[in-house]
Amino acid sequence: MTAPLEWYLVLSAGVFCAGLFGVLVRQSALHFVMAVELMLNAANINLVAFSLEHGNLTGQVFALFGIALAAAEVAIGIGIILVLNRNFDDIDVTEAVTMRW
Amino acid sequence: MTDFGTLPDWAALGPALALGFTALALFVADMVYPKRPQRELFAGISVTGGLAGLALSVWYLVAGTGQAESGGAIQLFEGTLVVDGMSLFFATIVTSVVVLVTLASYDYLVDHPHQAEIYSLTLLAATGMVMVGMSNSFVTAFIAIELSSLPSYALVASLKENRGSIEGGLKYFLIGALSSAILAYGISLVYVSTGSLQFGAVTEALSGGVGGILGLGIVMILAGFGFKIAAVPFHFWAPEAYEGAPGPVSAFISSASKAAGFVILFRVFVDVFPYEVVEGTVDWVMAFQAIAIVTMTVANFAALRQEKVKRMLAYSSVGHAGYVLIAVAALTGEASGAFVLGSGMVHLMVYAFMNTGAFLFIALAEHWGIGRRIEDFNGLATQAPFACGAMTLFLLSLAGLPIGGGFFSKLYLLIASVRADVALLAVALVLNSVVSLFYYTRVIKAMWVEDPSDDLEIESQPVGLYTALALAALVTVLLLPGFGIAVEFANTAAKLVVP
Repeated sequence: MTAPLEWYLVLSAGVFCAGLFGVLVRQSALHFVMAVELMLNAANINLVAFSLEHGNLTGQVFALFGIALAAAEVAIGIGIILVLNRNFDDIDVTEAVTMRW
Repeated sequence: MTDFGTLPDWAALGPALALGFTALALFVADMVYPKRPQRELFAGISVTGGLAGLALSVWYLVAGTGQAESGGAIQLFEGTLVVDGMSLFFATIVTSVVVLVTLASYDYLVDHPHQAEIYSLTLLAATGMVMVGMSNSFVTAFIAIELSSLPSYALVASLKENRGSIEGGLKYFLIGALSSAILAYGISLVYVSTGSLQFGAVTEALSGGVGGILGLGIVMILAGFGFKIAAVPFHFWAPEAYEGAPGPVSAFISSASKAAGFVILFRVFVDVFPYEVVEGTVDWVMAFQAIAIVTMTVANFAALRQEKVKRMLAYSSVGHAGYVLIAVAALTGEASGAFVLGSGMVHLMVYAFMNTGAFLFIALAEHWGIGRRIEDFNGLATQAPFACGAMTLFLLSLAGLPIGGGFFSKLYLLIASVRADVALLAVALVLNSVVSLFYYTRVIKAMWVEDPSDDLEIESQPVGLYTALALAALVTVLLLPGFGIAVEFANTAAKLVVP
């Protein structure tokens, strides 16, 4: 017994929007990274659910790559946030504004 | 070419393999000398690797690997990678920039404690950029884009004590992570509606009709690529990242990374989502026309107001993304698609040299420590006439004056937009070039006309930076008489992609 496929789309759209909302309102760089993770995982929900529907493994394999890339991205991000904290004594993304257009 | 029958198919990946293995060799070399940075060794390995990649790309391009006359595009790994004229053309651009940037880094990084890391990150990012051009599936495209982006974030933030560098890196990372999440979601929506991620299979599945979900996916993919090429309104990271980054890194990202963004944009929108098929859902030619005009205008007028030379060049680089976007915005079917696309490709080739050169001059100024504002460059030509001459050449060529290849490539873009019957694009291109000439001239005037301040003293003429500047200037000038050859390659490559 499987859930209708539309539900997966609704779920993933909901997770994506939650992540996008987090990106827009959060000031802490770490919260920003978490919100981006939500958005990437929303894509994975779609890929895995529709992999079943389409009867091929492409989606699941890409989801695995997506998870690995998300981890790599966080690794770089944490490094940058670390030096941000050393230089600005804070991880608030709205603090680092020495350059303005 | 007869000797090509003997090479296995995977050898077509040579440019990417050369760069990737060079990056690994740098890791090994760094392990052997962990305490004492070996400037000559690290720079030597990187330049050699870049030259090897460049030689392979040019050789394949000239020999016609993956071109129509030698049996068409080479597909590898069940069609997830493709080597054709377009991927080799962009591999040539990326590897040329790598050679220039690593040459310049030799002097720029003289006191940097993590030299091998910077070289290897540069080469890894370049590997990703070459792979972007070779990808023929959304999976490989996404992985390659990430491989080029992730090292770039670290490179921009690599001056760990410098607040500007950290800030630029942070903004680049935050917006980059957001846009790659949007791109991933867009790709997942394409998979939802087509059941495939390989470019050819996606195009086939489109014939069954284009639904709203796929349309949303296409828009999200467009936004993801818009970030890579730094087109307005996805450009906000670009001025910050280019200004904060170390000079050679700015040169690398603004030239090579932009080219990589464009090659995947060309391939996906021209090849995978053909205009005739998706027109009803997403009119991407119209979207690109709007983005191109807004990008040119916003960037050039923002550049007018800048006091810092590097930031001005950053905006000029955003503006050039607008010019190149004409290559997709003018694909209305009125003009020959191969000509329009080829004009954009060849502009990227010329731009790679003149823009890298201009940013390397900024790197040279940072190396001398003479300041970043336009008035800091006052009278610089009395101290360093050669470097200032090269910079003048780059700036005038960027503006489109007939002193470097930039003249012909802008002319071709103009012809393309006129032939495609999009007068607005042609007008925007000409007007913005005039505006850009104004702010480029301010720098030239400062260098040659103004009197130097009393404390202006240039104590060194670093050999690596000077060589890189000379090479970039030489190629920029040579592309004036040699433009016909370059445009020939671009048009042949574009013919294979345009349906």
